[in-house]
Amino acid sequence: MFMKTFEEKWTAWLDGQLTGKELVEFEDSLPDRAAAEAEKRDAKKLGSLLKQELGVSTFTNAEFFSHQLNERIAADEAAEDRHVTRSTWWSLPRLAWAGAASLAMFVLFTVALMRDKNPADQSQYLSQILNARVDPALGPNATITMFESKEARVTVLWTEGLQSLPSDFAAK
Amino acid sequence: METEATPAQPDVSDPDLVKRCQEGDTEAFDELVTRYRTRIFGMIYNMVHNEQDAWDLAQDSFVKAWKSIGRFQGKSSFYTWLYRIVMNVTIDWLRKKQIKGAGAEFDDAIQLKEIDPAAKTAPKADALPYERMQRGEIRAKIDSAIAQLSPEHRAVILMKETEDMQYHEIAEALGCSIGTVMSRLFYARKKLQNLLRDVYENV
Repeated sequence: MFMKTFEEKWTAWLDGQLTGKELVEFEDSLPDRAAAEAEKRDAKKLGSLLKQELGVSTFTNAEFFSHQLNERIAADEAAEDRHVTRSTWWSLPRLAWAGAASLAMFVLFTVALMRDKNPADQSQYLSQILNARVDPALGPNATITMFESKEARVTVLWTEGLQSLPSDFAAK
Repeated sequence: METEATPAQPDVSDPDLVKRCQEGDTEAFDELVTRYRTRIFGMIYNMVHNEQDAWDLAQDSFVKAWKSIGRFQGKSSFYTWLYRIVMNVTIDWLRKKQIKGAGAEFDDAIQLKEIDPAAKTAPKADALPYERMQRGEIRAKIDSAIAQLSPEHRAVILMKETEDMQYHEIAEALGCSIGTVMSRLFYARKKLQNLLRDVYENV
């Protein structure tokens, strides 16, 4: 046993754990051997006293202790089982709710993105003029140039070759 | 380690009972409880000095032991492993009580000093559980002296002097080094020698 401190060596000496060279060295290092021996005797008396007075404890109702302990363990295990069952049962609806919520969020984001790419505030006139363009009766040689600024919410159409404007175009 | 009631060797060894416990056999655990309950209760009682608290802490310890016995690998003996649980539970409880009570730790010890057992107005001897323990004047002095030690010092001196445990067993039970155990023993003995000199000199 490797001992570093005086306290450790002293304790080992009191308990008779020092032997051989360690014992000789330690006893030689004691400044007052007689006082140390007296303290050793005191420590032995203390040990005997503690053993005598504290060594035997009366445990009343020992059987009842075990009975209560068994009941407590059984109750704890039953409670744990219930907890496990309940948490399993709850996890399925939770999972369904989480899935539905995620799906709804995904749909919302997708719709928002699509709207961003195809903004609805595009000029209504554009589709009307374009329709007129494909109608050879209204303007067979018509050309249309469009300038649009989304930020300013302005659309400018430059048309050439239209023989007439659609009736609802001028009204708007 | 002696068993509780019979000095004879038990039919089934601790490791066998532990193995059965690990397979879920509650009867095997009941057998282990029967073997160690008195020692465990006595150890805790000597640390907390209150029968009801000792009872509760012993129960807590055994419940914890049952719950964690699956992780017991048999590297130490069962009782050393059990003592480790007991010491953790008891020292934690003592620390919490010290913080809560801010110094007035052992109310039952104070009551013993304050109440004259012969007084007509004193509580009836059998009325309170802790009074069932036979405690004379010497026992009260010892309890009072031990109450002045820190929980760790208390644990070390009790395991050494009343349980005859070896340094390495105490170290395992407390989760500290052998050097720490020896150092704690040194200080615990010094303090108790000062506090109990008149007792052991006159016994």
